[in-house]
Amino acid sequence: MKGFRRLAYPYAIWAVIFVVVPMLLVLIYAFTTRGNSVLTFRFTLANFARFFSDKIFISVLLRSLKIALVTTIICILLGYPVAYAISRFSPNNQALCVLLVTIPMWINMLVRTYAWRGILLETDLSPEMKVYIGMVYNFLPFMILEVYTSLSKMDPNLSVAAADLGCNNRQVFTKVILPLSIPGVLSGITLVFLPAVSSFFIPKLLGGGSFVLIGNLIENYFVTTGDWNFGAAISLIMTIIILISMYFTRKFDYTEEERA
Amino acid sequence: MKKLIEFRNIVKAFGSQVVLKGINLDIYENEFVTLLGPSGCGKTTLLRILGGFLNQDSGEVILDGKEISNVPAYQRPINTVFQRYALFPHLDVFDNVAFGLRIKKMSEDLIKPKVERMISLVGLEGFEHRDISMMSGGQQQRVAIARALVNEPDVLLLDEPLSALDRKLRVEMQQELKRIQQEVGITFIFVTHDQEEALTMSDKIVVMRDGVIQQIGTPLEIYNTPNNRYVANFIGNSNIVDGMMKKDYLVKFDDREYECVDFGFKPNELVDVIIRPEDIRILPPNKGKLNGQVLSVLFKGVHYETIVETRRGASKTVTLHVVEGRDTFNKEANEMINATDFTVDIEDVKNLTNEDLIARANAQAWVPDSEQDISITTVENGLKEESGSYPVTFRTAKGTSITVNVKVVKPIVSEDAKYQIGIQAFDVYKTVDEIRESMAISVDLKTWADAYAWELDTQEEVAIDDVRFDFEPNEITAGDYPVTFLTEGRTWKVHTTEKQEEDTAVSIDFGPDDIHVMHKEVLS
Repeated sequence: MKGFRRLAYPYAIWAVIFVVVPMLLVLIYAFTTRGNSVLTFRFTLANFARFFSDKIFISVLLRSLKIALVTTIICILLGYPVAYAISRFSPNNQALCVLLVTIPMWINMLVRTYAWRGILLETDLSPEMKVYIGMVYNFLPFMILEVYTSLSKMDPNLSVAAADLGCNNRQVFTKVILPLSIPGVLSGITLVFLPAVSSFFIPKLLGGGSFVLIGNLIENYFVTTGDWNFGAAISLIMTIIILISMYFTRKFDYTEEERA
Repeated sequence: MKKLIEFRNIVKAFGSQVVLKGINLDIYENEFVTLLGPSGCGKTTLLRILGGFLNQDSGEVILDGKEISNVPAYQRPINTVFQRYALFPHLDVFDNVAFGLRIKKMSEDLIKPKVERMISLVGLEGFEHRDISMMSGGQQQRVAIARALVNEPDVLLLDEPLSALDRKLRVEMQQELKRIQQEVGITFIFVTHDQEEALTMSDKIVVMRDGVIQQIGTPLEIYNTPNNRYVANFIGNSNIVDGMMKKDYLVKFDDREYECVDFGFKPNELVDVIIRPEDIRILPPNKGKLNGQVLSVLFKGVHYETIVETRRGASKTVTLHVVEGRDTFNKEANEMINATDFTVDIEDVKNLTNEDLIARANAQAWVPDSEQDISITTVENGLKEESGSYPVTFRTAKGTSITVNVKVVKPIVSEDAKYQIGIQAFDVYKTVDEIRESMAISVDLKTWADAYAWELDTQEEVAIDDVRFDFEPNEITAGDYPVTFLTEGRTWKVHTTEKQEEDTAVSIDFGPDDIHVMHKEVLS
């Protein structure tokens, strides 16, 4: 066992270099001002003050949360029925359907979004609507797969037992299948909401220059303005929001799983 | 008692496989009925048709005088306890039990006392708000029973509900189920492949096989007067022998006629005769009906299962010629070669290929240092289809060769006319090493000697279940050894409370009413 444990060392080093160090850098940049070198850095909260005092930044943040939330809800509403339908098919057809859902993901997300840009260019849809289409298109497969997994793992005898105890088909679904698939829906939410709230290329490519989300904001400050400190501060705020939302999803998930 | 359920000529097929071939069965109120049979006999299918989870291809299911084939499962006054319980993991014990009542929109004030009564009936007070995943298998079983019974169904179906429990718990739950059934007073239909379960709990047992009912009766009837060999074998552990019904009250088996209490057979009808192990007594030699010898004694907890042999099996003795290995070294080619003599059935001579000869002689060639195998390229076959001894030579590409003696013999057959058994075997030639390296000498000897036994009239194979020899395989040296192959003789299982010594001469005794005669099975 000890020999195997040693195999993990390269990964630990890798993780420190590429995960922990960058995070620390973000942290340091967020709490310092522009022009500081590592040696002379001075602690400041100015970057955060600037973000929370400016209504535009707050509205971008709220808009990002709204877009992510609506995307997630649409993905649940579209994805759940698809996943449910797939789980009713014969095993062979299930595998085929899962494959069909997965195939688009073999192509780079950026490339697919460019394709949508071409499709949506001539339409009169609002930038917001175009962003929704791009988001839902990109993230729907995650929801379908997560829900499908939880549905297909369910003991089919539970449905039979529910019918035996007097449930008609609708009640079998609402009383047994739906409650038992909630953990799948929750992990689907994690997989859709998190990338949606921080996505920057979808609004950039589909929403046009005027439609800015928090991801674009971060990108702008790093790439265009060169204000890494403020960019790092926004990233940190984003990270904290994501951590909080994950905490609540997980908590909900655990209370369900304890029973499962 | 009132008739509650009637199956009328139920037929069900899955694809081309017919699993129920016209089932007719009546079940009465308050009965504990067990459908008994091995897996694949159709018992679960029948249960699922009654539960409404499957539709029969033809036939009627009548419940309380009404045909219910078109009533969906959720509207039938029938509840099921599933094999793997199928409890709802997102609900606790109370909510699981209350599930059916809540679906019926009963008020919570009514639900609470009903659920609590059920939970206490199955002995789970205090566990109401326990999560299902925290319950043991036996407790989950009880929850499943409570969840079904709380709906006050007319019939409770139990689909092998005890099969997932360990033995001790299973016995406990058998008694529990019987107690619960008597307390709630509704019809239980129980499916199992376990005959002990069936005998312990049931008012009525339905023995099924391949979609056909073999016998319906009380546990006592099924046990004491099975309809055929199949039922007798499935229920309990019996002595079943071939016999002939000479006339009413007189049956012949193993060459002697015995008085019995059975009648109504055709004169000289071939029958199966069954004598239960506990109905046989062991007496000193010549005092009982049949003399024999105690073969083995096994302690079974409450009794000894004693095997008494009253007739030796058919036997055939052959000679095992053990020779030293004849490794031959060809210096020029630097090759070793080895092969042994063997015997061939005269009938087989013309069909022997070179590969067969190499295999039978165990001919091998190899490079001495590296032990690398060399293939034998030519076989000089001097065999003739006449009894005699002929040379066969094996040769490699480089000319290394060895010649062995092959004896062509007629099959050596012994026929036991009295018991209609034939047995044959051949002499065996083997090297010392082959014997010493054998992992299962009895099996190997049987294969090497091509030992085979059959019934003279039907030509059916009879198992050779004993190989006797008087040498220690690990320490054998070159020489000739007798090896005897035996078929099973007539043995009787006897349950006794006293321990018998093995290998002592005894006799067995039974009375006319201990003999039960059955018609031979007619296979459909």
